[in-house]
Amino acid sequence: MDALASLANGFAIAMTPTNLLFVLIGVTLGQLIGALPGIGPSAGMALLLPVTFGLDPVTALVMLSGIMYGGMYGGTLTSVLVNVPGEAASVMTAIDGNQLAKQGRAGQALAVAAIGSFLAGIGSVTALVFLTPALSSFALNFSAPEYFLLALLGITATASLGTGSALKAMIGATLGLMIALIGTDPIQGTSRLTFGSLDLLEGIDFLPVAIGVFGIAEILVSMEQTQSGQVVRTRLKDMWLTGKDWAECRMAIVRGGFIGLLIGLMPGAGPTVAALLAYVVEKKASRHPEKFGHGALDGVAASESANNSAAHGAMIPMLALGIPGSASTAVLLAALVLLGIRPGPMLLTEQADLVWGLIASMFIGNVILLIMNLPLAPLFASVLRIPYSYLVAGILIVSLVGAYAISLSLFNVGLTLVFGMVGYLMIRADIPRAPLVLAVVLAPMMESALRQSLMLSEGSGVIFVQRPLSAVLALLVIGSLCLPLLSFLLARRAARRAGVAEALSHSPD
Amino acid sequence: MIQTNTEMRSSVPLHLRLKHTAIAFALGAACLAAPTALQAQGAPTGPIEITTGTSPGGTPDVLMRRAAKILNEQKIITNPLVVQNRTGGSWMVAANFVMGKQGDRNVVLCIAQPILTTPITQGLPTLYDKLTPISMFIQGDLVLVVPESSPIKDMKQLVELAAKRERSVKVAGAQSGSTDHMVSGLVEKAGNVKLNYVPFDGGGAAQAAFLGGNVDFMTLTPGEALPLVKGGKARIIAILASERRTAPELKDIPTAKEQGYDVVWGQAWGLAGPPGLDAETVKFWDEAIAKLVANPEWQASLKENFLRSQMIPAAEVKPYMQKLHDEHLALLRDLGLAKQPAVQ
Repeated sequence: MDALASLANGFAIAMTPTNLLFVLIGVTLGQLIGALPGIGPSAGMALLLPVTFGLDPVTALVMLSGIMYGGMYGGTLTSVLVNVPGEAASVMTAIDGNQLAKQGRAGQALAVAAIGSFLAGIGSVTALVFLTPALSSFALNFSAPEYFLLALLGITATASLGTGSALKAMIGATLGLMIALIGTDPIQGTSRLTFGSLDLLEGIDFLPVAIGVFGIAEILVSMEQTQSGQVVRTRLKDMWLTGKDWAECRMAIVRGGFIGLLIGLMPGAGPTVAALLAYVVEKKASRHPEKFGHGALDGVAASESANNSAAHGAMIPMLALGIPGSASTAVLLAALVLLGIRPGPMLLTEQADLVWGLIASMFIGNVILLIMNLPLAPLFASVLRIPYSYLVAGILIVSLVGAYAISLSLFNVGLTLVFGMVGYLMIRADIPRAPLVLAVVLAPMMESALRQSLMLSEGSGVIFVQRPLSAVLALLVIGSLCLPLLSFLLARRAARRAGVAEALSHSPD
Repeated sequence: MIQTNTEMRSSVPLHLRLKHTAIAFALGAACLAAPTALQAQGAPTGPIEITTGTSPGGTPDVLMRRAAKILNEQKIITNPLVVQNRTGGSWMVAANFVMGKQGDRNVVLCIAQPILTTPITQGLPTLYDKLTPISMFIQGDLVLVVPESSPIKDMKQLVELAAKRERSVKVAGAQSGSTDHMVSGLVEKAGNVKLNYVPFDGGGAAQAAFLGGNVDFMTLTPGEALPLVKGGKARIIAILASERRTAPELKDIPTAKEQGYDVVWGQAWGLAGPPGLDAETVKFWDEAIAKLVANPEWQASLKENFLRSQMIPAAEVKPYMQKLHDEHLALLRDLGLAKQPAVQ
């Protein structure tokens, strides 16, 4: 009840006209920044940090955090419409969202993403209200061994990501792991496979890879097809969710939201990893896993719910302990410091008004974003009525400007084009592209966590089963590897039995 | 603070021998320069870019944005100041951008630790001696913390524990070659022990590992450490300054030096111009920074975060940087991280 009283107080603070206005400004900016590839929410927030200098701390924070979760909504847009992830966390949305768009169902994809993000967002803010102290101490149980196993779980799941053979998916993942090796060794600090190039010293950013293999490759393939009629012919009223769509996505949103919250809590993993894992889990749980990769609405629902939920979940360790769970919360912490507030374990009690005002503003912001996104979904989707030959120039410009914006260097633009060609070859060779991108995201976490674990245990592998959480994760990894094998064997045995039975029934007497 | 902390760590250590001269100069310069307009014929025209090598939100970035805002708002500099993030190559992308702007009056580089350390660890030509020195004007302290539940109460107990078995005491910190890593090296040297340094992906991740009870101690800034102490999560065992700090929150923290271990290390940030920048522009910046340092709003904003602003002016910054570089080189070589040949 204490929490409810504080929350009521928080609403009183968040509902003042100034704060409401800045929530609106924040989420609108977030929506725009999220939609632009290259500039993610964390960069957008940081660029707007100086604007907040003169503001009241609550006002400044509600605006900045509005950008953070607004970006999660906005990123969906370019992912679905043009297959260029607006920000890293939307990369899984691009896989199915764009397929849906090609089938003329962009409106449904955008609508379900908005609803999923909204429900998951509200869900995790509610968790934030009631469970912050408990969840934050839980988050600290995660350290290097758990992160390694989590990443390993993600990598083993890539085998199931492709629509075709598991072997081809593993080829994609291996390629991704190799790309991730380039850069600076995370433990020794020495350069690795950089061939003396300074541009490669910090490794290959995930965004040029994603924009290249998804966006640019798609354009290259489309140029081979000479037909002009790639226009999606749908009426506005057809771009709406049906009861069947909704039934399909309900549980995906719940699962995605829950996974997102859990991953968002961990200080070492952010919305991108959350969306990846939610998608993979959803594929396993779905009644039609074969649709994943070919336009599964529940795939979009799961990954979008997860990334928004993770963005909110990352606030929990930040508010309770002063530890950021994502790049965006790191900027929020910087903002707090600049406003003269020292984040840390005492924040919740010393700055109760600030914290509860912020939490209340997140309820309001999510409502605003839902109102903003839901009616506009069919409208945005109708962009696809533009003939593809005109649209393609726009996609190319957005992609390359996005690549340039990552670090204001032409090197990333070239890299994006190179990965566009890699993506094109992968499409031609029928190698799924998602495992590659997934591996690029997970590999750095997997590598440094493995080496950190072994340093912490002074070389003993027991650390991966000794700790309760890592033991559970280790079991999951083993399970995810053995289950397909087991079900394969069982299916074969069942088939053989059936065969025997059939043979018996057909045998003459 | 995934980003923030990384950058906090990656900043230039400071030895405080120059402290008094710096204060005297800063005050003097501020008094003398106050009424004169800076827009004499020597001032650059048009917008000026302040290049930083961190992503937006990193400590040097935040400090530069804050400085730029006050410089512009107080009309100390009327040219629009634009902070630009050119990330990549551990600051080398930013540094090379400025290095290529020979004599350009409209660009300056934020100086942070990687400007010194990246060339050393990557075996590249040094940068600090080729850029035109302007000023170092922001400094910060470091403290050593142990978990609240730790039996370690002071430096002596820490070193004794580490001496029992080689590499048995674990230290969390940011990337290899960061400030944290160098501090760990200094503790090893002063206590004649071997520690188990575990690098994490930035100071935030290291702090999470520390709070989760996975390591024995770590290095933090006072701004990070004090809230943890207040929340009953950590205990400060030493401040790495040459003498005790005077701020009420810090005055009771013993220095490592007074506990008998010569571990003195800190952080510093500043500005430098491209190679061959003319003396008039250097003077323009020198005067502007003197006014900034004297500005109460600037001083207050730094004090809140336990940072200090003492100016090492253009005239003195060259030997200062040389000394910093040599200290870094010696330490990184001890840690086995230096690729650069010894300075002649």
